[in-house]
Amino acid sequence: MALTVNGEERQASDPRRNLLSYLRFDLGLTGTKYGCGEGLCGACTVLVDGQPLKSCMSNVGAVAGGSITTIEGVANDGSLHAVQQAFIDESAMQCGYCIPGFIMAAIGLLEREPRPSRDTVRQALSSNLCRCGTYLRIERAVIRAAGEPR
Amino acid sequence: MSDAGLSILGDTAPGFPARQGYGTRAYGNTSPETPLARWLLVRPDGRVTIFAGKVEYGQNIRTGLAVEVADELRMPLSAVDVVLGDTDQTPWDMGTFGSQSTARVGLQLRMAAATAREVLLELASPRLDLPREDLVMRDGRVASNADPGRAFTFGQLVDGQTIEREIDKEVPLTKERDFTVMGSDVRRIDAEARVTGQAVYAQDVLRPGMLFARILRGPSFGARLVEVDSSVAEHMPGVVSVVRDGDLVALLAENDESADRALSVIQATWEGGAQGSTIDIPGILAETKRDPVAVQENGDVEEAFRHADHILEATYYAPHISNLPMEPRAAVAEWDGDKLTVWAGAQRPFGLRTELAGMFRVPETNVSVISMEIGGGFGTKSWYPTGAEAAKLARIAGRPVRVAYTRQEDATEGTFRPAALIEIKSAFRTDGKITAWQCEAIHAGPLGYIAQRGAQTPYAVEDVAVTVYCANTLVRVGSYRSLGAAANHFARESHIDEIASTVGIDPFELRMRNLAGARYRSVLEAAASRFGWQSGVAPTKRGVGLSIGEDVGSYVASCVELAVDGREIHVRRVVTAIDCGLVVNPEGVRNQVEGSTVMGLGGALYEAIEIGDGSILNTSLSRYQVPRITDSPEIEVVLMGNPDAPSTGAGEPGLVTIAPAVANAVFDATGQRIRELPLKRQLR
Repeated sequence: MALTVNGEERQASDPRRNLLSYLRFDLGLTGTKYGCGEGLCGACTVLVDGQPLKSCMSNVGAVAGGSITTIEGVANDGSLHAVQQAFIDESAMQCGYCIPGFIMAAIGLLEREPRPSRDTVRQALSSNLCRCGTYLRIERAVIRAAGEPR
Repeated sequence: MSDAGLSILGDTAPGFPARQGYGTRAYGNTSPETPLARWLLVRPDGRVTIFAGKVEYGQNIRTGLAVEVADELRMPLSAVDVVLGDTDQTPWDMGTFGSQSTARVGLQLRMAAATAREVLLELASPRLDLPREDLVMRDGRVASNADPGRAFTFGQLVDGQTIEREIDKEVPLTKERDFTVMGSDVRRIDAEARVTGQAVYAQDVLRPGMLFARILRGPSFGARLVEVDSSVAEHMPGVVSVVRDGDLVALLAENDESADRALSVIQATWEGGAQGSTIDIPGILAETKRDPVAVQENGDVEEAFRHADHILEATYYAPHISNLPMEPRAAVAEWDGDKLTVWAGAQRPFGLRTELAGMFRVPETNVSVISMEIGGGFGTKSWYPTGAEAAKLARIAGRPVRVAYTRQEDATEGTFRPAALIEIKSAFRTDGKITAWQCEAIHAGPLGYIAQRGAQTPYAVEDVAVTVYCANTLVRVGSYRSLGAAANHFARESHIDEIASTVGIDPFELRMRNLAGARYRSVLEAAASRFGWQSGVAPTKRGVGLSIGEDVGSYVASCVELAVDGREIHVRRVVTAIDCGLVVNPEGVRNQVEGSTVMGLGGALYEAIEIGDGSILNTSLSRYQVPRITDSPEIEVVLMGNPDAPSTGAGEPGLVTIAPAVANAVFDATGQRIRELPLKRQLR
């Protein structure tokens, strides 16, 4: 079966293959992380047709024919996405393990709601965990990214 | 062996006495017996590489150490490369803990960089035909003071030569007024890799021909494997083999899911192991306390209690909690003949190397441990059994093997913060002056250094006796951010507020009346001032609380504002002032203190592991609550700026004041004094 990953056509043989495992181990896109395996930490968040999805809870068959974007596919021709740049500008990271998931969830949010309130940002990111506790910076980064022309 | 360029060598482990041994100096494969290791290399292209055995797991030391070097060498930060935690390349290091990276290794690197600066000036003098005092170093070049156009880059000065120098311990370090990078907010140099998914963690290491392993785990602590039937598992698709090596039973498969599926059909019989569904950990602590250490003793507390105006006795309890870093432990091992390489997320790469060399009876120089980016640890990744498991399986399989823990496995095979039972008895006068302080702190497990941390009282009390004990534990205990200081501070600072309420004095005022140390007083004043602390006798119903603390040589004070709504505690605002001596990267310190605040709130409000039937019941995120973005309060960090004091740790101190400040604020809001963490469970 075929699916599009970061704009490239890809093949998968087993529709039951876990989507996170497929991305990380079969395609080598290790920017998407494993954190809990039960959809509760958000480290594995990717976009499917622009919508955030916890890839650890899905399989290849469920997204067949869809267009998947991972953290590796977010920057455009070497220029960072506004959300990525905002995370750098706000130093919104420590160990960085959760950051790809947060960035994907934030991009998904801004697609739906280009000028979110603080509360909306918090609600949209409440299923992503950052154990280092950089939440205030993440929130500021998303608000900052929303304020810039994209 | 030597690389072209200017190498600066220094004590392999600064702060530890060098021992006599093989060789005199080394560029790689160092050990405590190697007196000299390379810390810094000025390359022929003018870039500078620094080497440190510390690891990066979120503290931002890669940037902090580069900043220190860039300033001493008057060069752009972008021309500094940092190699960390690689046993083949970096100086030996005991491990990344105790917030020592900036304090100890940072200073060593500053001295190495300052030595390099002096050598480069020395090399430039004949080339520019000018005396040393007519030269200036700026932007990675040495120029004539009078004619800045006449200059040589570092690369030109090194000129393809191989030069070795030892650190000059008397070399003048750059003064604060001359800092150009240090002390200013600096963006982390590894930020882009983190936002593009290019940062590589142990979980991300993939090697050609690599097998995926899953390890069979017992149902309860101490259970022994009696029988295992893997006949079905062996024939499942993708399974390469089932390995049995002593108690280690593992599935090796061509991909992760094949290993997972095969593991689930293994039939195993276990015997023994811990039993019992209700376990009284405070009871176990009280009954099994041992190895008393008097950490503070002065005067005669019994005598002081006999003449006391007021006496207060109370017992405090902090449960076992989980570090729960975002990245579960993982390791990939690969053998090449009798040479072993392990990629891991270990906080002690050199310790792991020693362990592996011993296990396989090969010289340490045959073993390379490379610590990758580490997805959090907060202490627990000093314990890293994953490396040995992967190495054993790779040896047996003859192929590279990846062992990556699931979330649940990372909890059960990891370590927990020791539970602690702390009894305090104090005597004080009606004016709030504390006259006697007796504290007995019992921490679960055998690790006295964890129990002792932060147990002493900083208050000026004539008669004092603080004793710390170890005790039995049901679970594996280990390092958690600030070690025992979090529990010890919770008890002490809660008790101080109880004294304040007993005599009807404002908690800020009571502390000021009893505190002698200037740095304590100044952080407390700074936090209270930024917070807008208003004097009052708790409970005032405002929901405000404060506390002070010290950890790894840094001084902190926190003020908290919260609202209690039924059985919910909403923390609205936290202000923490920190004095960690000379601040290298203010942005880095603020980030660490904010993170410590959030982590501290988890332990204060709801984190606790539950033990039943000999196992941990809440290893899953669905049953173990940690702070989420919706729980994060406003956090303000006040940096004291104390350039005259040496840099001390910033990664841990911000946590120790949180639980007591929150408990004191809950009392202020409700009149309910909760002496047991997590607070939410006790709230009536």
